[in-house]
Amino acid sequence: MNERKRTIIAGLTEALPLAIAIAAYGLSYGVLATQAKFSLVSTVVMSLLVFSGSVQMVTVAMLMAGANVTSVLFTSALLNLRNLLYGAALAEDLAPAKKWRWLLAFGVSDEPFVLGSSRFKKYGPDPLYFGVVTGTFYIAWVISSLLGAMVGNQIDPKTWGLDLAFPITFTALLIPGLKDKPVVATALTAAGIVIGLEFLMPGNDFAIMIAGVLSPLVGLSLKRRGRDA
Amino acid sequence: MLNTWILIGLLSVCTYLSRVIGVEIMAGRKLSPTLSLYFNFVPVGIISALIIKQILVPADGQLNISLPVLIGCLATAIAMKKLNLFLPSVVIGVMVGMLARFCQ
Repeated sequence: MNERKRTIIAGLTEALPLAIAIAAYGLSYGVLATQAKFSLVSTVVMSLLVFSGSVQMVTVAMLMAGANVTSVLFTSALLNLRNLLYGAALAEDLAPAKKWRWLLAFGVSDEPFVLGSSRFKKYGPDPLYFGVVTGTFYIAWVISSLLGAMVGNQIDPKTWGLDLAFPITFTALLIPGLKDKPVVATALTAAGIVIGLEFLMPGNDFAIMIAGVLSPLVGLSLKRRGRDA
Repeated sequence: MLNTWILIGLLSVCTYLSRVIGVEIMAGRKLSPTLSLYFNFVPVGIISALIIKQILVPADGQLNISLPVLIGCLATAIAMKKLNLFLPSVVIGVMVGMLARFCQ
């Protein structure tokens, strides 16, 4: 089997559990968007063009609560801030894609970032893998949004354990990398920051971004101390 | 109706810009060793934060721990350590998490 085929199969296999979870989330979005008086076409077009679970869900929820367009846009911009960090972290590994980088950038979000960065750490830059993973998630997201808008609230993701797929897949990706002290310290710091921020402001949208910016400093500091010792 | 389409257009532009800016600004640049090392730790920090965020469930201004998610994650971690196989570990984690939900 050649290298490209192997990459495509790896991308599809590793994206599958998350794609199922994304589809469950997409179903919920489709249902909610319909309840927020979005037409079937606008519900699906939003998934096609925005392709962001958090932004779309928050938008729909805010509109249902009577928010105006300005506050929806402001909240979405805040939610999107962490994409800057993801993009910067992925840039070097997506660079070989050259002009296709503009297309691949469409996939810079939580799940492709998690899978992509794990892959790049093991095998080096691999834009094809990132493209396969993003494409899989995109198809799952768009089709499930359409189904959600069509079938209404008839499927409960919790009954099928679909809501567990995100954290469990992330755990399976995290564990193999927890080998040396700086990495473990980074993970623990991030966990501590999120617990602290969630305790102070339950359900806030900044915890992930703040943990993502600050916790690597601990790993960096320990790594340098280890080198200097 | 027009407002909906304008909103979708603006959200698309805003979201895409947030995605492409990081990639384009950093692409092709030689990172300093410190920055490169820093970015090496970013995924671990983000993944850990995402996991914890899903274990802690806010409800009515309070914070609850989702036991099915917590137990499912722990089972996955143990399975991953023992088996070192991605898909079986995920399946084990989901099954244990569902069992925990069933027993609740």
